[in-house]
Amino acid sequence: MIDLLLTRYNYYATMLLLGIGLYMLIESENLVKKVIGMNIFQTGIFLFFISLAYVDGASAPIVGKDVEAGAHVSPLPHVLILTAIVVGVALTAVALALIIRIYAEYGTLNESTIEELNHD
Amino acid sequence: MSADSDQGRERQESPGLYVESTVIMTTVRVIAPFVLTFGLFIMFHGADTPGGGFQGGVVAGAVVMMLAFAYGIDTTRDWADARLVALLGALGVLTFVAIGLGSIALGGVFLEYPLYPIKKASKYGMELVELGIGAIVASIAVGLFFLLAAGFGHAMDEPEGDES
Amino acid sequence: MIEHAPVLLVVAPIVAAALPIVASMLTDRAGWPIAVLGLGIHTALAGWLLVHVHTEGVVTTVLAGFEAPYGIELAVDGLSAVVVALIGVTSFGLLAYARRAQPRSNAFYAQYLLLVAGLTGMTVTGDVFNLYVFLEITGLAAYGLVATGREGSSAVAALKYLLLGTIGASLYLLGVGYLLAATGTLNMADLAEKIPEMAGYDSTLIVTAFGLIAGGLAVKVALFPVHTWQPDAYSRSPDTVSALISALVSTVSAYALARLMLSVFTVEFFDAVPLAQWGLLAVASISIVAGSALAVSQSDVQRMLAYSSVSQFGLVVAGFAIATPLAVVGATVHLIGHAIMKGGLFAATGIVRRKTGATTVSEYAGLGSRVPLGAGGFAVLAVAMVGVPPAVGFVGKWYIVIGAVEAEMWPVVAVVLASTLLTLAYFARLIERLYFAEAEPTEADQPLADGSGEVSLGMKGVVVAAVILAVGLAVAVPVYEPTLTETLPQLL
Repeated sequence: MIDLLLTRYNYYATMLLLGIGLYMLIESENLVKKVIGMNIFQTGIFLFFISLAYVDGASAPIVGKDVEAGAHVSPLPHVLILTAIVVGVALTAVALALIIRIYAEYGTLNESTIEELNHD
Repeated sequence: MSADSDQGRERQESPGLYVESTVIMTTVRVIAPFVLTFGLFIMFHGADTPGGGFQGGVVAGAVVMMLAFAYGIDTTRDWADARLVALLGALGVLTFVAIGLGSIALGGVFLEYPLYPIKKASKYGMELVELGIGAIVASIAVGLFFLLAAGFGHAMDEPEGDES
Repeated sequence: MIEHAPVLLVVAPIVAAALPIVASMLTDRAGWPIAVLGLGIHTALAGWLLVHVHTEGVVTTVLAGFEAPYGIELAVDGLSAVVVALIGVTSFGLLAYARRAQPRSNAFYAQYLLLVAGLTGMTVTGDVFNLYVFLEITGLAAYGLVATGREGSSAVAALKYLLLGTIGASLYLLGVGYLLAATGTLNMADLAEKIPEMAGYDSTLIVTAFGLIAGGLAVKVALFPVHTWQPDAYSRSPDTVSALISALVSTVSAYALARLMLSVFTVEFFDAVPLAQWGLLAVASISIVAGSALAVSQSDVQRMLAYSSVSQFGLVVAGFAIATPLAVVGATVHLIGHAIMKGGLFAATGIVRRKTGATTVSEYAGLGSRVPLGAGGFAVLAVAMVGVPPAVGFVGKWYIVIGAVEAEMWPVVAVVLASTLLTLAYFARLIERLYFAEAEPTEADQPLADGSGEVSLGMKGVVVAAVILAVGLAVAVPVYEPTLTETLPQLL
């Protein structure tokens, strides 16, 4: 049991980040905080993937002049997460551009105020 | 929308947006070429070592952002013409697609590098594609920075959220 | 030569999306001709691919010469080919609608073409992570398109869509991570073999992966209760965008869910873990009932159509989850048919809104004589959606019901039959208003003041084409059925 708690800390970190991100996304009233929550949620997933790639005692997956035999850390999840990070950046950028436009139109970033204004 | 009223509004509403500081200007003037070189270095080395188009493109875009912080966002936006930035991005896309379709024309599948008749075609093909991706990412980073930094004036004129 | 077709299908819209940005150095009106050219090539390739798959079978190709499972593989079988054809025809046809309808800038058409590229990529890919990348590309383009509306509420609707859609896509990515951890591969065909070998169908890892993937894609398909982005996004975006997104985005997401259920997890997973099948059927059935119930209570016509989508997609997902050959054929037919009917319905409401400014059910009173084409198209498509033979809506539902009866899933049969009555409830009310109620002499029937009140020939043509297809595609079903059952390997 203690062994389980001590060695799998990357999964706990992932779940913690996912939980914090989702809570921020649902609970905050400010739109910018929701976007930050979305970012934290995605960061948790990236952490999960990257910690999957690690092999105990292995060397970095870089092709140099002499390729050492032996275990290498798997580079596949790293490449997947690079793409996912770029996707996350693009989403954050689009979200922020929309927030600027919402602020220009409504004058507030509070979600419940905007809902009231919409239903008028 | 004139540049005067935009600048006036900007200075009124967010006076902290541009602060003239000799330290920042001097530092940026000295560092900017090295940062750009570093960005290109990362772009070129994507195939074998950590690096590649995405990271290099962001660093290259950060050069323009540094200039904007040092010399004022509006001045930098006028200098880096918006259409030129968009053109850079579109050229990046077309480079990637041209390399891919070229290998179809030479009889293989999409993006099959070894078919090109140059030595070490796989390495050079991949580097050219990374440069294209770097151009796309740099242009998007710069374009979005100016769109977001423009704030209200720009937002009222362009209802579109994003260009690509 | 045919093996280049899937790649070219994705590359052509991407190139066409970059060209308006280059052309914006010269002019701001170059978007529409470039879109016509690009989507014309796309539709022609899609038609060729469909004919080839119908006559010769599955088409596969790998990218960059790296063999599967190390490289990215594209695979097109009967299910993918017909969805690609749908994407091509719908997006090309809606260009006739978009010529007069409002946003006309280069940036709008660049996003339009990027959406088509993303949708096509989702359909032809054979690799689960590639599906995630194209899913996000589709999402980004869709959020941008929803935000092109003029009012501030479009931006709010787009932001809501963005936040919810990103959660869905991230859950899907987490599910893919679990699959990668279990098997070490990302290729769909390879996963189908490795899952029972390396982890077993009933291991917690695989069941959780299925739950996450199904949950993530359910957000994109807009099943109840994660559908809340859909009514706002459909009603607050411009007419062209509503028609395009309602016809294509949820459709291709439902296709992705079906592809993962049938080709990666396969029917044996449902045999080994019946809880997964029943869970999905329960969610789908609740969607059917809740969507219709919410639709009845709406007053805004476009929001009503959005809730109707929730209900119809519940039906489609139920059909795929039953996973017998007849039910899968029925679900596919209903998927395609619903896309055409829903796109046509949104196009018709666009015409009515332009001519008379009417957007709510009460304002629709008596418009049958004032807007004959719009109201007539709306009525025919609504009747087709309810499921009156010989329209394609009837054929899809009929096959799903027979598939459910064969599999002896009686609750599902009851819900599907009830759904027809519920659909009738909200559509009949509207048709009765259109034709049998008196036109109210209110100020609500002014054409829109900003000069966009004209209804072009292209718009009318789109509605007429949708009506013809909705009734005529039913004839094509027996021709298509062997293509699907022979090329979808898990059904053999």
